[in-house]
Amino acid sequence: MSKLTDMQKGAEGTVVSVSGDARFVSRITSIGLTPGCKVSMIKNEKNRPILVYSRDTMIALNRKDCSNIEMEVTA
Amino acid sequence: MTADNEYVIALLGQPNSGKSTLFNALTGMHQHVGNWPGKTVEKKEGSFKREDKKYIVADLPGTYSLSANSDEEMITRDYIASGKADVVCILADSSQLSRSLYMLADYAGITVPCFLLLNMSDVAALQGKTIDAKALEKKLGIPVVPFSAPDRKSYDGFYTALNRALIKQSKLDYTVLEEKYANIEGFNELKNIIPEGVISGYSKTWLAIKAIEGDVPVIAKIKEKLSAENVKTLEKIIVSIKNGVVVAGESKFAWIDELLEGSVKSEKKSASLGKFDRLVTHKIWGKIVVIAIIFGGLLLSFIPALPFMGIGQGISAIPDPLSDILIGIGCPKIIVSLFCDIFIRCISFVVQMLGFVFGVTLVFGLLEEIGLMARVSYVFDNSMSKFGLQGKSVMPFLISFGCTMGGAAGTRVIDNWGQKVLTIALSWAIPCGAAWAVIPLLSTIFFGAWAPVIILAILIVMILHICVTGFIFGRFLVKPEERYGMIMELPPYHKPRWGALLRYVFGRTKDTFLRATKVVLLVAFVFWLLSFTKDGNIANSLLYKFGHFVEPATKLVGMSWQSFLAFLASSLGKEGALGVLSMLYTNSGTLTLGSLMAAEKASNFNELMLANISRPEGLALIFAMTFNMPCIVALAATYQETHSAKWTAIIGVYYTVVALLLAGAAYYIGLLIF
Repeated sequence: MSKLTDMQKGAEGTVVSVSGDARFVSRITSIGLTPGCKVSMIKNEKNRPILVYSRDTMIALNRKDCSNIEMEVTA
Repeated sequence: MTADNEYVIALLGQPNSGKSTLFNALTGMHQHVGNWPGKTVEKKEGSFKREDKKYIVADLPGTYSLSANSDEEMITRDYIASGKADVVCILADSSQLSRSLYMLADYAGITVPCFLLLNMSDVAALQGKTIDAKALEKKLGIPVVPFSAPDRKSYDGFYTALNRALIKQSKLDYTVLEEKYANIEGFNELKNIIPEGVISGYSKTWLAIKAIEGDVPVIAKIKEKLSAENVKTLEKIIVSIKNGVVVAGESKFAWIDELLEGSVKSEKKSASLGKFDRLVTHKIWGKIVVIAIIFGGLLLSFIPALPFMGIGQGISAIPDPLSDILIGIGCPKIIVSLFCDIFIRCISFVVQMLGFVFGVTLVFGLLEEIGLMARVSYVFDNSMSKFGLQGKSVMPFLISFGCTMGGAAGTRVIDNWGQKVLTIALSWAIPCGAAWAVIPLLSTIFFGAWAPVIILAILIVMILHICVTGFIFGRFLVKPEERYGMIMELPPYHKPRWGALLRYVFGRTKDTFLRATKVVLLVAFVFWLLSFTKDGNIANSLLYKFGHFVEPATKLVGMSWQSFLAFLASSLGKEGALGVLSMLYTNSGTLTLGSLMAAEKASNFNELMLANISRPEGLALIFAMTFNMPCIVALAATYQETHSAKWTAIIGVYYTVVALLLAGAAYYIGLLIF
């Protein structure tokens, strides 16, 4: 298991768990990042928002907020 | 239903689902924008007629879910519970169906009739996705209609689905979803103790899953209806559940995935950024490209604005000859002055402004519709979120260097009312084009080669002003607990729907004309009353008397009564201030509203200033004028965009006071230096 924020550009994985404060969890769930969902890392540069692709959607995420998203990296 | 043959449709969808485009296309010029009672959330309503029936369309606030995390979500829930809507149209994005059906899943369990609109079917088709709407319809039990805003034929499908939903009172079938919920520990037990009718329109299933998600208002409502013993059971279940939102979310997406299985085919494509998006998301190039886009947009918006500006300037040439003629034929001077000075001059001002509002609304509305504004938002989100703003707010800020009212018009792409008002409030601190014409001139007169230092000081004060104002206003407009870091999707690019966009822009411009004219006329009338004299002698005007009366106070911030009147004139328009100074110091000409707004400065202006105003006083005047209310039309535009007289007044008074305080600070610093 590894963190979403540690995934390399081009890597693919499945969300294992999501945690954080209630508002963050509610919002991240409504945008589709729930356990079991496939994610590919599009862009992950230091001090920049990360860009992931999931459920046919390009999603930009604040790096700090999503430090609590755990992944199972598959490729 | 509000009356015979009158139906209410509520539009429900996530941001970027194309809800506003649909709303504009359906209602066109028949829109009313206001605020939800007592809330800082925009309320949009419109109507259309079709086959002798009238349809009221309520555009519910764009939210990602129906939880209770924000005012927007609570308003949406309360509206649905109020029973005002006969049918709810739920929007989903066909190109991102699995993600955007979350709203439908969150709606499941609500008993108000609904139908599903699969928007952006053209984008989905381009991506090689085919969606079997009929199969979805069978599974869901409600009309499902593919829709593409730029396609005229799409609308027939929409109207048919709407009528089917109304006639059949079609309700969403959520039995499969409920089976999934049943696997969540405690769900069935919870559902069984919830009585009927806790909130009208919301089933026990919906209430139970919200309680599992830890939804505070729902839990409170349920508790009201429970026996003491059951309250304990409820509390026990809720405490035992960890991460209720995630667990419920998993069920919802499992349901969505099952729903789409066999109904959606797509060519497997690997995800990657397009060429342009690679540029926009680049560390350095991103900001440059976005700023270039905004300035490009600003230039473009001048093209549709020019004809308006020409007409407006033409009108402004009327008052002088006309008043001569009218006085010549024996019209009372007071009527001539009222008509020429106030009415014609104000109309000229407003028409010129309209051109800019029209251009900005059109160009930036277009950028929003094709999906470019989302990229702007992405690039500047980190910097803007420090003020609690969206990345998009950078656009109105940049426009405000040219013109504050253009900036205000640009804020309409910001979908959150509090953030919109905050953006306008902050953009007032940015000196506009007119200020940049006046300030370097005054700086050079008083400080010669040191003028660039003054300009630099102004820029530094501007940044501090924005920070402090952002902090003060932000606490009320964008509550810190409602702010979060960026979680946003970059939507695919769309083709614009020109008809809907133009109809919307024209409607908006008409609206602005009516509201702005009212504000401008009112303020101008007050100034006219204050400056009116029978004989043209300044000393007989109320303004002069007022200036003299408060001079002991304005002296404290380094302003003589002449400077103070110029300061007041600069809140009508910065250009007028220099003319007023010329007039007051040469004791020539008549102080009228016309001269307040557009007087010429004297030929020996430089000598006049140096002879009458000391350098510290000059510094005070420069800062007072720069950070004063941008102009009367900016005030009107602020009222138009915020549709809040209260916040417009607060912003206006705040800026006037702060400008005087800054003038005082500049004066005393000036006294120390010079």
